[in-house]
Amino acid sequence: MAPLAINRKRKQTVDELSDASDTVSFPDGGPDLPSVDQEDDEVGQESDSDDVDAFPEIDAGSETDGEDDEDSSESEHEGQDYEDASTDDDLHIFPRARTIISDITGQPKKVYPEIEPNYDSDSSTEDAPTRVGNIPLHWYDDLPHVGYDIDGKKVLKPARGDELDKFLKTVDDPTAWTSAFDKSTQTDKPLTAEELDIIRRLEALENPDANYDPYQPTVEWFTGTGKEEIMPLSAAPEPKRRWIPSKWERQKVMKIVRAIRQGRILPSKPKTTSSQPQFHAIWNDEPSSSHAPQLPAPKLRLPTHSESYNPPEEYLPTEEERKDWEATDKEDRERDYLPQKYPSLRLVPAYDQFIQERFSRQLDLYLAPRIQRTKLNIDPNSLIPKLPSPNTLRPFPNYRSLSFTHVRGRVRCVSVSPDGAWVVSADEVGIVCLWEVLVGCEVKRWSLDEKVTAVDWCPRMDVSFFVVGTEGNLRFFIPPNLPPSILTATRAFLNPPTLPPTPTTPSLVKWVNLPPAPTLDGPLLSLELPPSSGLFKHITWHHKGDYFATVSSGGGQGGVWIHQVSRRHSQAPFKKVKGSVQLVSFHPSKPNFFVATQRYVRIYDLMEQKLLKMLTPGIRWISSMDVHPSGDHLIIGGYDRKLCWFDLELSDKPYKILRYHSRAIRSLHFHPSYPLFASSSDDGSIQIFHARVYSDLLMDPLIVPLKILRGHEIREGLGVLQVRWVPKQPWLVSSGADSTVAVWCH
Amino acid sequence: MGRLRQKGKAGAAKAYVTRSKAIKRLQCSLADFRRLCILKGIFPREPRHRKRANKGSSAPTSFYYAKDIAYLAHEPILKKLREHKAFAKKLARALGRGEWSSAKSLEDNKPVYRLDHIIKERYPTFTDAVRDIDDALCMIFLFASLPSKDRISASLVDNCSRLAAEWQLYVMRTHSLRKVFLSIKGVYYQAEIMDQPVTWLVPYQFTQNIPSDVDVRVMLTFLELYQTLLGFVFFKLYTDIGLAYPPPLDIHKQDSGAGIGAFNLEENTRNRLLSTLPSSTGQPEDAKVSSKTVRQAIKALARSSVPEDEREANDLLHDADMGDQDEEFVLRPSTSNPEDAANLPTLHSLSSLPRSHVANLFAPYTFFLSRETSRPIFEFVVCCFGGRIGWSGTSGSGSPFEETDDSITHVIIDRPPIRRFDETEAELSRRQRRKYIQPQWVVDCINNGKILLEEPYLQGKTLPPHLSPFGEREGAYDPHADINDDTDEEGEENGIMEDDKKSDIEHPMDEPLVTALEVAHSNPAAIRAAELQAEAAGMDYGTFEKRLAKSQTKATRVQEQTSGVEEMNKMMLSNKQRKLYEKIKYSERKRHAEVR
Repeated sequence: MAPLAINRKRKQTVDELSDASDTVSFPDGGPDLPSVDQEDDEVGQESDSDDVDAFPEIDAGSETDGEDDEDSSESEHEGQDYEDASTDDDLHIFPRARTIISDITGQPKKVYPEIEPNYDSDSSTEDAPTRVGNIPLHWYDDLPHVGYDIDGKKVLKPARGDELDKFLKTVDDPTAWTSAFDKSTQTDKPLTAEELDIIRRLEALENPDANYDPYQPTVEWFTGTGKEEIMPLSAAPEPKRRWIPSKWERQKVMKIVRAIRQGRILPSKPKTTSSQPQFHAIWNDEPSSSHAPQLPAPKLRLPTHSESYNPPEEYLPTEEERKDWEATDKEDRERDYLPQKYPSLRLVPAYDQFIQERFSRQLDLYLAPRIQRTKLNIDPNSLIPKLPSPNTLRPFPNYRSLSFTHVRGRVRCVSVSPDGAWVVSADEVGIVCLWEVLVGCEVKRWSLDEKVTAVDWCPRMDVSFFVVGTEGNLRFFIPPNLPPSILTATRAFLNPPTLPPTPTTPSLVKWVNLPPAPTLDGPLLSLELPPSSGLFKHITWHHKGDYFATVSSGGGQGGVWIHQVSRRHSQAPFKKVKGSVQLVSFHPSKPNFFVATQRYVRIYDLMEQKLLKMLTPGIRWISSMDVHPSGDHLIIGGYDRKLCWFDLELSDKPYKILRYHSRAIRSLHFHPSYPLFASSSDDGSIQIFHARVYSDLLMDPLIVPLKILRGHEIREGLGVLQVRWVPKQPWLVSSGADSTVAVWCH
Repeated sequence: MGRLRQKGKAGAAKAYVTRSKAIKRLQCSLADFRRLCILKGIFPREPRHRKRANKGSSAPTSFYYAKDIAYLAHEPILKKLREHKAFAKKLARALGRGEWSSAKSLEDNKPVYRLDHIIKERYPTFTDAVRDIDDALCMIFLFASLPSKDRISASLVDNCSRLAAEWQLYVMRTHSLRKVFLSIKGVYYQAEIMDQPVTWLVPYQFTQNIPSDVDVRVMLTFLELYQTLLGFVFFKLYTDIGLAYPPPLDIHKQDSGAGIGAFNLEENTRNRLLSTLPSSTGQPEDAKVSSKTVRQAIKALARSSVPEDEREANDLLHDADMGDQDEEFVLRPSTSNPEDAANLPTLHSLSSLPRSHVANLFAPYTFFLSRETSRPIFEFVVCCFGGRIGWSGTSGSGSPFEETDDSITHVIIDRPPIRRFDETEAELSRRQRRKYIQPQWVVDCINNGKILLEEPYLQGKTLPPHLSPFGEREGAYDPHADINDDTDEEGEENGIMEDDKKSDIEHPMDEPLVTALEVAHSNPAAIRAAELQAEAAGMDYGTFEKRLAKSQTKATRVQEQTSGVEEMNKMMLSNKQRKLYEKIKYSERKRHAEVR
């Protein structure tokens, strides 16, 4: 517990300190000093572990030597005095000077104590407890000793109490907080007053040296009165320019003077703004035509009734209009204000958007591109082409004269005999009816028990029969009640006594002569296509009545066959067709053949067997096609509601595209003699057009819509499925999905 | 082979420049560019093909004519702006160094630009300038009512209010105000200056605050231009009617809130007139004097002979005539050419159109403004139409007469009537002599061009609707229609009747009825009218019904036929035309829907 080696001087200073601090308890600095000292030490040691960081380690340096004897004696002598005058001057580390009267000069002089050049005066010779040298002492942290003494023996660390002891010591000893841990001795050492003072100064950001005087008077060693240099540094004479006024300066000044005299420079120029009257008559002289003036900005819209502070009631917005207005964005609003009504003028508030509106007007003026728009002031009705009135283009069918009803099933196909007296209509159930156009009286009915999809009457006048297309085969029927001459001719035509020689190569198509039934109500001839060929979609006759072409839904070669009745010969004209063939048609006068695939129409020359033309109607899916009786025009209808008129002489693009049906076009037909054509659609309507074609090539065909015939019902999305004109009469026969066939007369 | 054409060397690529490129070419900042554009009136253009104008890029930019930009490059103001930039740098440096005297001398020699040449350039003739002062007036009136703040200096607001007052004085002096409209946005005025309608909007008297989403710099630049423009325009207008410009301001009156009364209109001195208009040898004043004497003489004559009420009307007429003559002489002081003599009568005849008496509409009346009505509005409006007006001291000084004055005929009042029991006899009699009308009466009288009945506008009455004198666009709903419906219909029918009578006289008795029926078949009101007519003609109800049904079916059939044909002909439209047609029809339908 006892300190191993404590400097004598240090001990004494500690004594002083304890003296100073314990004046209350020990006014005289009693005899127990050593014990207090020890206690102090202990306390310091205990508390040190906390304060290591706060207080710097104090190296036990002893710069103050020789003085200490004297000092201590002094302090012992006049202890009270010392305590009172604990000012900066008294806290000396350095030896204190004494002022004495010099013997020689008789003046007071400072005498410093002699420095004794013994071992004690040098810190290196100090009696250090360990002799390990200046090494980091934390190396000994884990060891029981703190180094070795001069004899090579371990200097053991002093024993340390536990935390409770430390605490108790700090409580007991009021000076504990002024001591610092000394690592070399592993004990707490109380700080001296000088050291504490240094710490205080450092904390107060003062100079640590108490004697430092920042405001020392300057000592003028080389300057100041009486110390001026009198002699010049060089012996050269003073140049003339030092005392002659400058010529160039004079010239410059004179320039300015002249300018001022001439009035070019105004000495105190009046401000530009107030120099001349701000406004003058600028429009009195002629306008300069150097730059054409811009167009004046458009004026703001003038206010309307609804902007009034007291508008008529009908201008006020309803509640939902107000909400709508508030909900829309500012830019999307049709009007930038809401009409308001105030009972009197004094109640009208300020308009909150006033400045914004002015500002946006200005933005418009300088940021918005101005475009001069010619306002279209067209009467919309003037756009509609002036066409001849339908009344001048009579006759055309405009009312339904009679309707013929099938029992059930959609009437897919209808055909009118070339003499215009008979109609044959066939429905999906397989019933084929023959009836009169004039009265609608059914003459005969065949039931085929098969879905009938195509019916067409042979256009020859000397014979009379029609072809019915069902699944995979065609049947030739002769209508009853024919005049005997025609009947025999027909029989001879269909069933000649001498059959033409069978072709050498076996054909896929079989022509079968059916045994003549006694009642004459069966088909006379039947034609069987290969089994995979499917339904007949379309049958069309050549105008001479010997050839006819069929399109079936399946089979090779696009399903197109051309049959010759007289030779009982069938051939497939195409080896391969691009696209699925929808329709075919013969040219009315030339050996040309029209083939409509889904999107294009190709025209072939049958004699030369080559492609003549390909038409692109721009329709997605062609549904119907018909050739004008002159053979120079073609109309094509599509499922996408478009109707294209082609002038075959002109171009492979349509001359006119019409879109007027609201649903898909199903059927088109040109009248063989009148300038009429009709189109039917799934919207249940039939549109009659007047279509006049001029022989003059320069005249465009005239197409005039004449009449919309309504009357067919729409069943399952299907309307009027086929329309056919009655030859020699402006009458129309139409068959619909509502299983009726109607005749429209003029 | 023709010359090879490089891309971007001709056409739209050369004719247009983007904004950033223009700024680069002018070597100025964006703010300076904006200022230049505002002052010179240059605005972006929309090229027909944006891609071609912008090197194939379709980025959203604004384009200017390359010629416009080249024209800006020679602008003296651009030079001044550059000088100002240098000056600002010098000043900042001087201030930073604390060189106060050099900063002061710099400040004294600050580069200032003038806009005279721009005004002259943008408006080569005076008429152009007058045509374009609408926006300028709106801005001036707005800024005259703004509180001065850091961005808006007090001198600016002062100048604006001075300009506003000068304009009002001019309009009052020349009686050129035509229409007034009290809207929710403010008061619209329309004056006719040099045959150009000038419309401006004045906000109601409330403190306005500039909202944060408004760029004050832009507004101030515009204001700079507008102040100069209006200065020059007013100078010309004032000198043309022989007044000195600027009119001197009476500071005392101004401080006591006299408003526009604080300015004294001074006749131009003769030499000044001579200097500005060298050809007019002081003729206007002579003319004025002579016309005045003539007028007085006529008045005296009229007083002596004509009874009281007639005299007043006559007086009015003469006043108006004379006033017009005055104006004419003064307005064209420089036309002392040989053709003068030939010109004058035609101009005179033009100005003596019926409108002339409207200019002094309120001349026989004396108004007093109640405290709650807006004095600036009604003082201006009433004075413009020749009326006298006074106001209570609370609305500012300068009232020509007190409330107790006996000449007051109308009191413009805008508060509900209160019964007072402590009225003295004098007060009561005074109250009974005067008419207490709401402010709308004044404005409606002006817009109708005649003195309306005061009855519906009396104090406390629910006012009839106030309609815009500017009208609506064509085809819009007309609120007058249902009010005057019956009378109009009658007149129309009568007209038709007469026409028909002239054309064919087969059924002289029934013809009017038939035509009426034909006209009426859609409109229930018209049917009722026709029914009455039939009754008057002595037709019993059954036959009338039959006739009606017949005419209706006939009409519908005709309509159907024509519409059906048209509908069918529509299918012959080409695609483009069809779209145009649909568009027109759509807008037509929308308009109809709005009318309801």
